[in-house]
Amino acid sequence: MGKELLVLGIESTAHTLGFGIVSSEGRILANINYTYKPKEGGIHPREAAQHHSAIASTGIAEAFRQAGISPREVDGIAFSVGPGMGPCLRVGATIARTLALKLEKPLIAVNHGVAHIEIGRLVTGCKDPVVLYVAGGNTLITAYMDRRYRIFGETLDIAAGNCLDVFGIKAGIGPMPAPEEYGRRGRRFHPLPYKVKGMDVSFSGLLTAALRMLKEGVALEDLCLSITETVYSMLTETLERALAFTEKKEILLVGGLARSKRLKEMVDAMAELHGAGVYVVPPEYAGDNGAMIAWTGVLQLMAGQTTPIEQSRVRPRYRLDETDAAWREHGL
Amino acid sequence: MASEEGWQMTLKAKSEVIRIGAEAIVSKLEWNGFKLVSKHRVPKPYRMPELDKWVRERRTLHEAKIISDLKKAGVPCPAVVLMDRDDSTLYIQFIEGSELKKALDELPPKLVESVARNLGEIVGRMHSNRIAHGDLTTSNILIDRNGKLYLIDFGLSAVTDDLEELAVDIHLLDRSLESAHHPLREKFMKNFLKGYSSIMGRDFTLRIIEKVKEIRRRGRYVEERRRRS
Repeated sequence: MGKELLVLGIESTAHTLGFGIVSSEGRILANINYTYKPKEGGIHPREAAQHHSAIASTGIAEAFRQAGISPREVDGIAFSVGPGMGPCLRVGATIARTLALKLEKPLIAVNHGVAHIEIGRLVTGCKDPVVLYVAGGNTLITAYMDRRYRIFGETLDIAAGNCLDVFGIKAGIGPMPAPEEYGRRGRRFHPLPYKVKGMDVSFSGLLTAALRMLKEGVALEDLCLSITETVYSMLTETLERALAFTEKKEILLVGGLARSKRLKEMVDAMAELHGAGVYVVPPEYAGDNGAMIAWTGVLQLMAGQTTPIEQSRVRPRYRLDETDAAWREHGL
Repeated sequence: MASEEGWQMTLKAKSEVIRIGAEAIVSKLEWNGFKLVSKHRVPKPYRMPELDKWVRERRTLHEAKIISDLKKAGVPCPAVVLMDRDDSTLYIQFIEGSELKKALDELPPKLVESVARNLGEIVGRMHSNRIAHGDLTTSNILIDRNGKLYLIDFGLSAVTDDLEELAVDIHLLDRSLESAHHPLREKFMKNFLKGYSSIMGRDFTLRIIEKVKEIRRRGRYVEERRRRS
């Protein structure tokens, strides 16, 4: 391989503004992230965007300081083009375009979901995994096939994390990990709707049933046990189906819910049956971060996938399987 | 002879594993001159024992019931011969054929069209009896030497009046083609829908196509929502 390339990556899909600098050798030189925390309720896109704008110049300076390089030394500027919240995405995109023009470096538009997978492959060392991507807003099973990350399974309604969070909040104990912790003290299992359709799952009926049983006086600990066991069993079962279908030998867990000990335990037990390895993205790279965008930017730069400024409009609804993962064809 | 041995011993003695699925182990065996497969839903060590037993038993009973309903309706699928409820095992007629997943890429283009169309008719007949397969991927469709198709694995099927559940079948079939037979997908689905429409009628077919699109969009919507990881 020739000269070591350096890419600056900018993440701004939602509550996190992140700057990462990663080299073509996979060295992570900088990973600086700022998270907007709303005083109450969910994320307001405009307020998050204002937070990102206010902190941006400090963040860029800090990233270059941490990496110990000057802006002129980078070989490309990558940014999250989507999916995400429009106002937040536009902050990152604007910074990226400005830097690319000023520094006369190629601009690289990166799919946020693909970046979660690619940083996972880099930091865990797995090569060709079936990926379970589970977070508050996401539940999907994907694997690389025929130049794309194909979606093998996904939720037909609400996300797994969302289901457990809402249950915890409505039960008065707060979001995850509270339901899982309470569940450890549960004694009795109550069957809840177990909805698996092929490799797809559905959680809304389960949530409704659990909330109804809570109102009817079923012990909270028992319900927490039942809901977490049911949700994780459904995820593990669909993951097992995807593993059998794709005949791959690695599993990668990505996203916030991948931190669940019980889910990891179940996936380990399942993987053992199939002689598959299980890889979990460590916390610092599991959440949204700049390094994942930078690394995916490196891969795209090496595969020649740069983005002309006039085609760099943000894509709030950009789907994982719309990205041409050309670098994988080059063995990257 | 057979009466002395008891059916279960005889059945278990000569079995040969032919498919280890994600959910069940399928073995081939001969019983009094009949070729059968046994479908044993194996315990999953990752599930709590109570949940595991409940899920396996419920699916076994349910599958037997659905298969008998489908046989009555004339949908091609292997018949259930015996059921061992405690062991979550069904003994089913053996079909000489291979998975469409494996056969599809080698079929001559002309045959792909007629197979797709025929599959559309079969799924239409199943749907006209209010049965949704629940896991209609190309792994769960068998094709024999004469190109005759059979549906298998009804573990996730449902009797339903909900258009959405029926639409999920078409969604899953489409997705399994998209992910594993991408170049054939468009032609296959076009012909599938021709066959489907010949049974279910044009209006219903258009409605279900809309529903399939909606399911796909909804999946996207969920994926697009901001993650809180």
